[in-house]
Amino acid sequence: MTSYVVRRLLYAVLTFIGITIAVFALVHAVPGDPITFYIGAHGAHNLSQPTLEAIRHEYHLDEPLVTQYLYWLRGVLRLDFGTSVVDHRYVTTRILEKLPNSVELNLIAFLVAAAIGVPIGLWSATRSGRPIERASAVLFFLLYSLPSFWVALLLMELFSVKLGLLPTFGMTSDEYLDLSAGQKLIDHARHLVLPVITLSYAQIAIFARFSKSALTEVIRQDYITTARAKGVAPRGVLWRHAFRNALIPLITLLGLTIPTLLSVGVITEQIFQWDGIGRLYFVSILTRDYPTVLGLTVVTAVVTLFASLLADILYAMADPRVRFEETAP
Amino acid sequence: MDGVKRFVVLLLLAVVACTNERPLPTVSTSEDLKKPQEGGTVVRRLQGDIATLNPVMAQSVNDRQVDYYLHTPMVHFDADLSAIPGLAEKWEISSDGRLYTSDGSNVTAGDVLFTLKKIIDPQTEAPQIAGAFDQLDLRTTRVVDPHTIVVGFKDGISPQLAHFNDLLVIPEHVYARGDFKIDFTSRVVGCGPYRLVRRVAGKEILLERRPEYWGPRPNLQRVLFKVIADDITAWNAMKRGEIDETIISTDTWLAEGRRPELQKFIDFRRFYTLNYNYIAWNNRDPVLGDKRLRRALAMCIDLKSIIENVYHGTARAMNGPFTPDQWAYNPDVPVIEYNPQEALRTLRSLGWLDTNKDGLLDKGGKPLKLEMLITAGSIASNPFAQLFQAELKKIGIELDVVPLDFATLIQRVLAGNYQCAYLSWNLDPDPDPFALFDSSQFPPRGQNFVFYSNPEADRLLEEGRREFDQTKRKKTYQQLHALLADDQPYTWTLQVSSKWAINKRIRDVKESKGWGLFQWFPGELGWWIPIDQRTHDVPLRRR
Repeated sequence: MTSYVVRRLLYAVLTFIGITIAVFALVHAVPGDPITFYIGAHGAHNLSQPTLEAIRHEYHLDEPLVTQYLYWLRGVLRLDFGTSVVDHRYVTTRILEKLPNSVELNLIAFLVAAAIGVPIGLWSATRSGRPIERASAVLFFLLYSLPSFWVALLLMELFSVKLGLLPTFGMTSDEYLDLSAGQKLIDHARHLVLPVITLSYAQIAIFARFSKSALTEVIRQDYITTARAKGVAPRGVLWRHAFRNALIPLITLLGLTIPTLLSVGVITEQIFQWDGIGRLYFVSILTRDYPTVLGLTVVTAVVTLFASLLADILYAMADPRVRFEETAP
Repeated sequence: MDGVKRFVVLLLLAVVACTNERPLPTVSTSEDLKKPQEGGTVVRRLQGDIATLNPVMAQSVNDRQVDYYLHTPMVHFDADLSAIPGLAEKWEISSDGRLYTSDGSNVTAGDVLFTLKKIIDPQTEAPQIAGAFDQLDLRTTRVVDPHTIVVGFKDGISPQLAHFNDLLVIPEHVYARGDFKIDFTSRVVGCGPYRLVRRVAGKEILLERRPEYWGPRPNLQRVLFKVIADDITAWNAMKRGEIDETIISTDTWLAEGRRPELQKFIDFRRFYTLNYNYIAWNNRDPVLGDKRLRRALAMCIDLKSIIENVYHGTARAMNGPFTPDQWAYNPDVPVIEYNPQEALRTLRSLGWLDTNKDGLLDKGGKPLKLEMLITAGSIASNPFAQLFQAELKKIGIELDVVPLDFATLIQRVLAGNYQCAYLSWNLDPDPDPFALFDSSQFPPRGQNFVFYSNPEADRLLEEGRREFDQTKRKKTYQQLHALLADDQPYTWTLQVSSKWAINKRIRDVKESKGWGLFQWFPGELGWWIPIDQRTHDVPLRRR
């Protein structure tokens, strides 16, 4: 088990280095640099050339790409992502300010999606092929294909503007600072409802379909037939023999879901003014704030790698065969 | 399975149980509330979080919106965008236009000098405002006495005075200590009518009136800025009475601006600001270098129909580098009329004929194909590009429309690596278009990225910025306007009006001639709220 974990960690490190090179190259391959952001932003008068030179120099934009990468990598190894081109604060500080907000939102969305999606999937596996199961499949594919920005705006229009039940945007109300601890919790929870629904409705569909096919797969196995043959009641077969094994592939979903949540998060955070890394990402890309974009990419890459690493390890723990069969990630 | 159902139901109940209904604000019309009253909180929208509270480092319009309350600029603009005293009580300009002598009363002249030095220091990395003081001459700039400063420039040009509006003076004894770039992103010492109460990054900025302010006291007690990046979210917040003002899109204006239940408490405003859309023609392009061809292409733009059908009358046609609100505008310059047949005749006279009968005009074996860059996702560019494309196709010209994100687009344009591009400008209050059209201003030095070069235009541009008498400048600029309209280095298309929604509880919201609702004097500093409509005065608690 230990050697397996070590091997997976090594793979993760290699993947990580690959990601940094790819992202660095991609970010710089996109035309335009932080300087272009200033042009025309204020008025149609000229920019100060000496100042532009100073900015190019500070961010090493006047040096070859490879040198720029090495400068950056040296910083990353010391956990220093440099300073933002926009407000000159440390990228690490900027990210750490916003990261907890995103983690909170995504974690809750993930749990909600799993808590609703998995039971629905298992339920439909036991009714595979019946009209009601077919209908629910269609419904879930429909849900999955609805664009999240549109759903977000519909939810806001209905629950906030029309019905006035929930806050329109933000993470807390104006009077938040004057509330008691309990009221603060409720206030914050109310602000969470719409963003969480936006983030999780498509995930529910994924969880449901995934767990349904996993259970269907398991039910076809020989050992289930054996269990049936030796006279175990249908309910017992399902719960004691099939269910546990069907959960194993679901662990893989953990690794797959995190990147999706993060990318949908960009739109959700923008619409609901949720002050997380998604919005920071969006703004930083538009302004070509290289250090912030790269810093955020590293953070999301690490989170994603960690999630898939965790999934692999959980998988190995749940299914002893994995350890011996696995040779490459 | 039952467990799942119950969980969902409980979640919804919890939401309903803790709803606090917020009634929409009502508007009173009683007579005794007509005079400005002190107090109250206005809730303003910021389209993005600010980068910094350090006014020298200010980058975006968001930064400047907040700064305007915290600092009084050296020079204010009045409603006509003429310079009037701000922090500087009065000023004199030397006859060669190089020296500005200013007399202030509150902040010391040493602070002004300190601020100017910071602005032009390349290490400050503030290219916008540094560009406005590019010609500053520190050798002739000197402090005369604590209340008088002489500011010297290497070159005497008339647009310089307006740039003193960007000069927000910061006290040396505070800002000289620590790291100038990062220590003042969330704290501020200013000389303006308001002071900072708190800034919650990404969420809000709260300001409070300074009782000891030296100038005319504004009416509003507090200003609360809420960061809302998304326009639709902001509009929803506006409808719920959560914010008092926001810019709205033409679509929202058309769809909701006439709804009586909204008109009850929302004032829908529309006005023109200093901006215009235009097609930039690369004058170095072998085909587009000919102004007759550019004029022929301009004749294929059906501006009337675009204004009517795309903007429903909320835009107007442009014909040159000045908008009708600017004093430099020449009312005698015509808009190029839509006339594709005349355009076709011009093109034929220039040798563009459909010799191989493929439906495209050609000359010397080459078909007439153009590539136009537009900003991807821009609501203004897309319909325009499509309509223009269709019009050109009718007379045998193929227009390839290439959507790019703004940074990519501007990179190609500055490198001269394009044929034409659909762009827009936000203009400075002073009309001087030197940086855009003078032949010395090709990139990277200036922004003449159409590579327009005409000695007569150069002469007028130079004359216009050297002259300090506005009547004479006006004459020069009117000539320039006519010349540029004839040469068509750009084809100016539209000026789209700005649309705003303002809660009716806010009184005396006025617009300036071209500068909109904000950043002129009194502008937002003249607003007030009747005493019975203080819906946003929540108790304050400091962090």
